[in-house]
Amino acid sequence: MLQKVLQALEETQGPVSLDELSRQLELDVGVLEGMIDFWVRKGKLKDSRLAACAGGCGNCNPGAQGCTFDRGRPRSITLT
Amino acid sequence: MTTLALNPSLRITYAPPIEEELTRLIDALGQCPELAARYPLRWLAIQLLEGDDVLRAEVERLGGPLVTQALEKSLAILEPTYGEDLDVAMVDQRYRFVNHLAQRVLTRPSTPPLTMSDRIDRIVTNRWLGIPIFLALMWIVFKLTTDVSGPFVDWVDGVLSGPVSNWMVALLGLTGLGGGWFESLVIDGVIAGVGGVLVFVPILLSLYFALALLEDSGYMARAAFVMDRLMHSLGLHGKSFLPMIVGFGCTVPAIYATRTLENRRDRILTGLLVPFMSCSARLPVYVLIAAVFFPALAGQVIFGLYLTGILFAIALGLLLKRTLFGNEPPSPFVLELPPYRLPTLRGVWQQMWERTSAFLRKAWTIILGTSIVVWLLLALPVSGEGSFADTDVDQSAFAAVSGVMTPVFAPLGFGSWETSGALLTGFVAKEVVVSTMIQVYNVPGAEEEEAVATTVGEDLLAIGGGLLSATGDALKALPSIIGINLAEGEDEQAPDGLTGAIRTGFDASSGGHGALAALAFLVFVLLYTPCMVAVAAARQEFGSRWMWVSIIGQFVIAWLAALIVFQGGRFFL
Repeated sequence: MLQKVLQALEETQGPVSLDELSRQLELDVGVLEGMIDFWVRKGKLKDSRLAACAGGCGNCNPGAQGCTFDRGRPRSITLT
Repeated sequence: MTTLALNPSLRITYAPPIEEELTRLIDALGQCPELAARYPLRWLAIQLLEGDDVLRAEVERLGGPLVTQALEKSLAILEPTYGEDLDVAMVDQRYRFVNHLAQRVLTRPSTPPLTMSDRIDRIVTNRWLGIPIFLALMWIVFKLTTDVSGPFVDWVDGVLSGPVSNWMVALLGLTGLGGGWFESLVIDGVIAGVGGVLVFVPILLSLYFALALLEDSGYMARAAFVMDRLMHSLGLHGKSFLPMIVGFGCTVPAIYATRTLENRRDRILTGLLVPFMSCSARLPVYVLIAAVFFPALAGQVIFGLYLTGILFAIALGLLLKRTLFGNEPPSPFVLELPPYRLPTLRGVWQQMWERTSAFLRKAWTIILGTSIVVWLLLALPVSGEGSFADTDVDQSAFAAVSGVMTPVFAPLGFGSWETSGALLTGFVAKEVVVSTMIQVYNVPGAEEEEAVATTVGEDLLAIGGGLLSATGDALKALPSIIGINLAEGEDEQAPDGLTGAIRTGFDASSGGHGALAALAFLVFVLLYTPCMVAVAAARQEFGSRWMWVSIIGQFVIAWLAALIVFQGGRFFL
């Protein structure tokens, strides 16, 4: 099952939404999220939420919630 | 509602070799009473086989060598079958169990009902409608930022150049510091420079308001999805557009956002394209120049500039992908499309405040510092008979330094020392282009002649009245977003000193084609290096070599594009 997530990403053409992928794999979005988190921890997938701006630009004050401009970026998950 | 009583003894069963080792490990762990008291032993054994380092350290500390040996032995037995993927096999088994259970207890319709978000997405992310909707929303954003916030810009400008300057002059007079170079520093340096940029706070507030609405409603993710699809179909890395979305706010976090791309080549390529997205710091420059040369078409001009930036990024991306960066097929990715929701007042205000206060912080640091340096260079005579703080600006050190760059910009129609100087200081931060232009085109005589002595009370009343009047004008401007002009027929304002000076300057440097030169100037500002902090970010992320490629490449592209606009425009007009 876990491998199916990686396989689906390898085979898909173009960007796919999380909902679309969950329908394609016939999985609940919550379950899919858990599987994605596992692969992110294993280093097979990359989650954009974990690549935040390092700050220090004088523009923002990256606190607990990170850079105010960066927060507008939609979340994406990619194969590494 | 149906409730299901689960069998309390129900447990996930792993493959037989794993189960055998779990049993062995549970026995070993059970020999340590402290561990048995603290953790469920089966759970602990599973975590250890899955490689939980924190728990392993604790188990080794409490259980001693016996437990460590048992764990090592179990891992060695399972290694030939599972290799390094023992945890994958175990987690996979759990998901199989959960999925199997869910299928048994949940009844799902064969065709899931469409949610409201699904229905909206059918239109908003439609292959043919998606991009026109994105462009239409961008159009509304720029009409809002220019037409609706315009009256508030005039109001802030009036307050800073009128009452605030007068109060400052009076205060300096009272403390015995008036009339000299210090007054010039405060009025012509700090208030003209920093104040000239602060005038644009209403513009930024409305831009951030619109961006917050788009982000909080969930639309921004759809915009990225639609643009990704377009870029992907062009053979570009669709994911590049995600950092570019951030670039509309600020280039620096957009450069850092390239970290989400999986390989270095894609990261560098996107890093080279991100600066073409028009950041909010460039907006004051667009608004100032568009208000001077294209007052009736300011929204269209600014919208056109944003669009030009996107088109340049795509075109350059295509060119680089087919040359320097190879032609590997772009890899797909998953994008989270959150459900649509109504933005909350609190959330929108928080974003507006955080972003605007970031701008204000920059105003009191980078912009103030640069304004003082520019004032010092403007106050320093290098020719003529003037003295410090009492010299013609065109005989100042700033004019001499900026004049060196003038021949470079002459073919673009804005080869004057004033514009060259503004572009030079704009390397520090784009808002500084505005503060420098206000300083170098400063025409103090015009305002001083019209100044009438007023009391503080009268000033405060005028400020309040001005705010009410600006609010009324902004409300009248709202229908202009959909093309209804309620302000039509009102008297066109006569150009003030600054507007006239900028117009005269551009006319003089372009042989009478001021508007064309102004357009070329705007294109140049759009395409050349955003700011020194973006340069530092590029160096940190991609190295010195690519930083220089970025600086030089952007300059060459900006110069060529401005040349085409000016010389091409002259040819056709």
